Amino acid sequence: MSTVKTADVKEIRLEEYVIRTEPYYLPQGDEISLFEVAYHEKLPVLLKGPTGVGKTRFVEYMSWRLGKTLTTAKPKEKADRDNDGHVGIPLLTVACHEDMTASDLVGRYLIEEEGTRWIDGPLTRAVRYGGICYLDEVVEARKDTTVLIHPLTDHRRILAMEKRGTIMEAHEGFLMVISYNPGYQTALKDLKQSTRQRFIALEFDFPPKEIEAKVVAHESGVDSETAWQLAKLGEKVRNLREHGLQEGASTRLLIYAGKLILRGVSPRRACKVAIVDALTDDAQAQRSVQEVVTSIFE
Amino acid sequence: MGVVFPSIPAIEQELQRFPAAVTEEFQRARQRLEPGMTTDDLLAWGSMGVSLAQQTIRSWEVAAEYYRVSSSVLDDLPMDRFLSWAQHGETLCNQSPPVALAYFRVGRDATSMLTTEQLGAWAQMGLGLYKGTWKSSIMAARFFETSPAMLQALSFAQVGRLVGLLDTVTQQSSDLALDCLSLAAETLPRVPESSEALLNLLAAVSAKSWRDTKGSLEGASKALPKVSREHRARFLSLAEKVAASDHGSVAAFMQEASQALSQIPPEAQPALLSMSEVILAKRPTLLTDFFRSGPMVLSRLRDGQAETWFVEGLKLLEENPDAGVAFFKLESSRSEELMESLSSTVELPRIKDLLRMYCRALAGTTVEIASSKDLAQKGIGWVDETEPTTEGKTVFLPPIVDRHQQKDENFEWYKVVSTHQVAHLEFESFGFLYDEPSVSFRDLRPKLTPKRRKKMGLAANQPQEAAQDGQAEQEWLTDAQKFFDLFPERRIALDIFTVLEDGRLDTRVKREYAGLRKAYGRVQQDTIALRPLEEGQAAQEMLIEFLLRLSLGQRMKLIIPAKYEAEARKMARVARRVFKMGTQVEDTAEGTLRVYAILAQIPNERVPQDEQAEYDDNAEQDSDQESEGESQEFLEQLMASQDQEPGEEQEKEQQESQEGQSPDQQPYSSPKDVDYRGSFKPELVQLLNKLREGQQPQGEQQTQQIDRTQLQEMLQNNVELEAAKGDIKSSALFANNLMREAGMSQSPNMPAMGQGPFVHTDDEGGPLEAREPNTFVYDEWDFRAGDYKPRWCLVREKVVPEGESTFWRQTIAAYGPLLGQIRRQFEMMVPESFRRMKRQPDGDDFDLDATLEAMIDKRSGVTPSDKVYWRRNKIQRDVAVALLLDMSASTAEAIDESTRGQDDWDGPNDPAEYMAWLRARRGEGARRQHKRIIDIEKESTVLLMQALSLLDDKFGIYGFSGYGRENVEFSVIKDMNEPLTETVRRRMDRITPMHATRMGPAIRHATRKLELTDAKTKVLLLLSDGRPQDRGYSREGVEKEYAVHDTKRALTEARSKAITPFCLTVDKAGHDYLKTMCQDMGYEVLADIWTLPERLPYLYRRLTV
Ligand SMILES: Nc1ncnc2c1ncn2[C@@H]1O[C@H](COP(=O)(O)OP(=O)(O)O)[C@@H](O)[C@H]1O
Ligand SMILES: [Mg+2]
Repeated sequence: MSTVKTADVKEIRLEEYVIRTEPYYLPQGDEISLFEVAYHEKLPVLLKGPTGVGKTRFVEYMSWRLGKTLTTAKPKEKADRDNDGHVGIPLLTVACHEDMTASDLVGRYLIEEEGTRWIDGPLTRAVRYGGICYLDEVVEARKDTTVLIHPLTDHRRILAMEKRGTIMEAHEGFLMVISYNPGYQTALKDLKQSTRQRFIALEFDFPPKEIEAKVVAHESGVDSETAWQLAKLGEKVRNLREHGLQEGASTRLLIYAGKLILRGVSPRRACKVAIVDALTDDAQAQRSVQEVVTSIFE
Repeated sequence: MGVVFPSIPAIEQELQRFPAAVTEEFQRARQRLEPGMTTDDLLAWGSMGVSLAQQTIRSWEVAAEYYRVSSSVLDDLPMDRFLSWAQHGETLCNQSPPVALAYFRVGRDATSMLTTEQLGAWAQMGLGLYKGTWKSSIMAARFFETSPAMLQALSFAQVGRLVGLLDTVTQQSSDLALDCLSLAAETLPRVPESSEALLNLLAAVSAKSWRDTKGSLEGASKALPKVSREHRARFLSLAEKVAASDHGSVAAFMQEASQALSQIPPEAQPALLSMSEVILAKRPTLLTDFFRSGPMVLSRLRDGQAETWFVEGLKLLEENPDAGVAFFKLESSRSEELMESLSSTVELPRIKDLLRMYCRALAGTTVEIASSKDLAQKGIGWVDETEPTTEGKTVFLPPIVDRHQQKDENFEWYKVVSTHQVAHLEFESFGFLYDEPSVSFRDLRPKLTPKRRKKMGLAANQPQEAAQDGQAEQEWLTDAQKFFDLFPERRIALDIFTVLEDGRLDTRVKREYAGLRKAYGRVQQDTIALRPLEEGQAAQEMLIEFLLRLSLGQRMKLIIPAKYEAEARKMARVARRVFKMGTQVEDTAEGTLRVYAILAQIPNERVPQDEQAEYDDNAEQDSDQESEGESQEFLEQLMASQDQEPGEEQEKEQQESQEGQSPDQQPYSSPKDVDYRGSFKPELVQLLNKLREGQQPQGEQQTQQIDRTQLQEMLQNNVELEAAKGDIKSSALFANNLMREAGMSQSPNMPAMGQGPFVHTDDEGGPLEAREPNTFVYDEWDFRAGDYKPRWCLVREKVVPEGESTFWRQTIAAYGPLLGQIRRQFEMMVPESFRRMKRQPDGDDFDLDATLEAMIDKRSGVTPSDKVYWRRNKIQRDVAVALLLDMSASTAEAIDESTRGQDDWDGPNDPAEYMAWLRARRGEGARRQHKRIIDIEKESTVLLMQALSLLDDKFGIYGFSGYGRENVEFSVIKDMNEPLTETVRRRMDRITPMHATRMGPAIRHATRKLELTDAKTKVLLLLSDGRPQDRGYSREGVEKEYAVHDTKRALTEARSKAITPFCLTVDKAGHDYLKTMCQDMGYEVLADIWTLPERLPYLYRRLTV
């Protein structure tokens, strides 16, 4: 029952979780070197920060970058190599949500012709073969997932597979990374101390205008003047966090706006749909933000 | 006439019988008349007097008067007419000597204005007014007395009409008629053009009710001067219609109407009058209210727009009279919105929230927006009530903008102005640091030393404190003060600094905000266009104006003194360096030093027209960096200027002017403020910021507290206060205001200048404004109008103070067993949410039954179901509840009383009486030691709260009461996100019956709280004892309905926001009104109030699943 027959089941191979080309990532500080040390020292990492500031991108970048120095995941085919001739270590990303259960992470049985068959969940896969397991927005997950996280993130580094009655020791190259947005968590959905004290925490915030403008220019393709204006808009809108807006405009939204502008949408319109209306439903707040937009863009 | 005496002596002899005065008058007149008269005529004249004198005992007075005036009358009249005039007098005298006396006394003043026929008719009128009574004789006499004046203003026929009118009134009351006559005589000559209309009006009034004649006349005499001349006739004819219509008094109408008319410009008056005419025809009762709102509408809307608004209101009036009335009273959202959409005017209150967010976004700090008026009232140095400005925390803007024909242009102006003001914060005008290097200059500041100059007066008064003061001052010196201390002439330095800094910000804003560039440019263009070229400017002033125009972007045709072209060029170069990309306020400071150095070389002499030149700024290429030589030169000039003490300079000036060396030298005066920039006070703002910082807890140990005297001294030479000084008089008061503004304690016996927050408290009145912190305004539903009354209720939110904790403990103890039961019920709610859900397509594990079935199906060739898993119920409790407790006075009722089934509706309607009535009932209750409704409410709430600690639900506990629409009290016992602490428990103790019950706004405020809370299930639980009742709830008679409808509306609003409202009432009699109120909403009437402690938690559970 425990043998995986790769031939007749549609199962994504681990290699497909491998990042092959270098993701674009502009560091804000020393997060890259810190993460490298954490990986080698097997220290779980918590990425803190509002949505869209580049946490996911950072993990992707790190998984690619760490692949350079690691031999755990060997390239099988020529096509998997990028120009440097290497691939990243596997990255398994799980977007947590309130309906997600432990089974979604560990795996479950499927019914087959002659019985049932076990299939690994993403966490199990990362534990088994090595790689980064990234639990995005971890507080959204149900509390029973913490039962899994705890033994994996202390000295034991084991995964209890309750359903199968087994325990799996984590692979050398396994690293648990979680992310968490302290901004809009309510008291109910806060990260418990017993959980958070197992991670080193890297704080992410909206990058300074200069960096953000570069990111926007690179990701959307707009000219540097427009990118600068978008970054400025981002900065101004973020001033309204707690003053009428729950969250500031994320870098991601600025990039969206940039993409629309590049495709010929007028800047004011682009900002309206990609930023103003995306941010809030409150008519008053929309109008205020739109006034900022019309001040910045012609 | 009786006998004609044959000779003068005969007459003289006859006259001997009367007092000597008669003979005297006779002789005096005779001397004048004799030369030009025939003997016959003379005898006829003389005999007439005798005949008059003989009539009655007192008629000798009449004779004397006759003789006295006759020579002047004869100047005008030929003898025959003279005699007939005298004979009319004789007839009058026959009836009443006093009347005849008055008749003769006006003499020529009257006769000169009358024809022969009129003369007789006129005398007849007077005679007609005399009815043989003493009073009527006064009346008739007064008529003659006032005739000359009236004949001047009225035609003879009109006088006749007036007399006719008076006659009618006299028949009822002669006193009244007399008053009317006096009033008419006083009023008519002042408004001759309106006399016909006024008479018509009086006729109409007296025909309806003679009593109102006087009032109307009085009204007219007060009202007419307020109405512009050309519209008076129309005004009066409208009044006439009012008189005919049976609606209200004409006097009141005239008072209100003229009041209204006087508030609008003459060209708008016809519009108001024609609207009033229509209203009078359609709904006369509305007129009074219309006069209250009309002026406001007409001053906001232009002609055609006002008409559109009016026509809309008429339509409404026809469809739904109540709605129409509310519309015209401006107590309807529809009316306001329409007016708003028609008007091109932009009013600050309407866009305040919008601009606040906009400014906060730009500044990155918690900027507030307020009206410039508020700042002026604070008495801290700013005096203009319309100029925009900022004091470092708040952007002040004019309350209303109506510069352009288009609304969006007016809004744009607001936006540009706010952007400029907020730029002071965004680009840190007030962050000036003396030691911070500039970007584009070789800094001169480190090479200069500021000198603190004391004004003589104050230092001399307090010599003993001087040393200590000096030290405090050093500590309290702001960077801006230090900087301005560099200059002997602070005023000039401040003006330069202001121009350069505003210019720096403007160029910066235009660079950074491309979208605003055009609008910004337009505002600057308008400013330049409207700026007068002042006559008689002196050289320094002209050059500052030149710099100012440069900063506004003017490049061509700048006026400068011809002989200082080189200096102007230098100034322009300095300005360009300040306006360069990326400069800071320190560049402005360096620029100021340089421009000052240039100006200090120039005497402030008048520049005659022919010595002025035009200057075009052709943006010559400057070298990026200032050269060593350039800065050195400035430094030397500055050092030289610094050596002069201002006192010396003045003396010197005086000497000079005495010696006649420089006769044209003028005292310097500042340029006119730029409208959109307002007055910039860097020194004051830095000081204010410093005072504010000192108030922060961490600041305290660093900076020593400054006291008022020290502050006062520091402000002595602050030129930014010059404009205010006249107003504020004493700088002690000023220092006090400033400290108050910074939140510091001031000496208690100093009254603060200006007004504190002010709340409108008129039951009628109009919309309210939430000015104080923690106040909120809400609309109220007017069921008759089918529309909201905008911003009608003011909710004041406050946290309940802490009481004793014993109340909580005792309640828990008293209800021990019940509490245990409630807890168990609540505990059961938790596992409910983890129920297993079977037969799921996906899940935690196989569902055994489903799996077996699937296997069997498969074996028997049937396609098996893929729903073979089970998973946990995904419903997770996510609940927020707001519990609203009725804290009105009626909850003080003892419970026994309420169970007697007495209907609360029977209570007196007058609020004062109602309170007294309640107190009486309450007193009874207390004697009997019964529990009151509120006690049960409180106890039940305690139990509920205790049980709720088992769940993760968010809940807020609030109480409400209040008096009047401007005082809805909303008491926070536990806010939605507040944990259940000891403090909260203690607050429960302090819940007591307060005032009346206005439920609508309380419900709306609770709804807002729920809206701001993130939860899937939201419940608003209203616990009350009876009906909504408050003072001034609408028009009399329909209060109950009004209140119930508004409450219902508020509940409906809550439901439209995905909130489940539920009303629980302990008023037995309440069933009926609850039915209307809650129709399709949840409600329950507790028959037995003692069941509330059980019922409340039960309902809670039911409502939140
Ligand atoms: N420092 C950065 N370097 C490169 N791209 C970035 C950076 N920060 C943000 N981005 C861009 O912003 C987008 C959103 O970032 P993402 O990693 O998805 O945010 P998060 O995971 O924090 O919600 C990314 O797709 C990327 O284009
Ligand atoms: Mg992400």
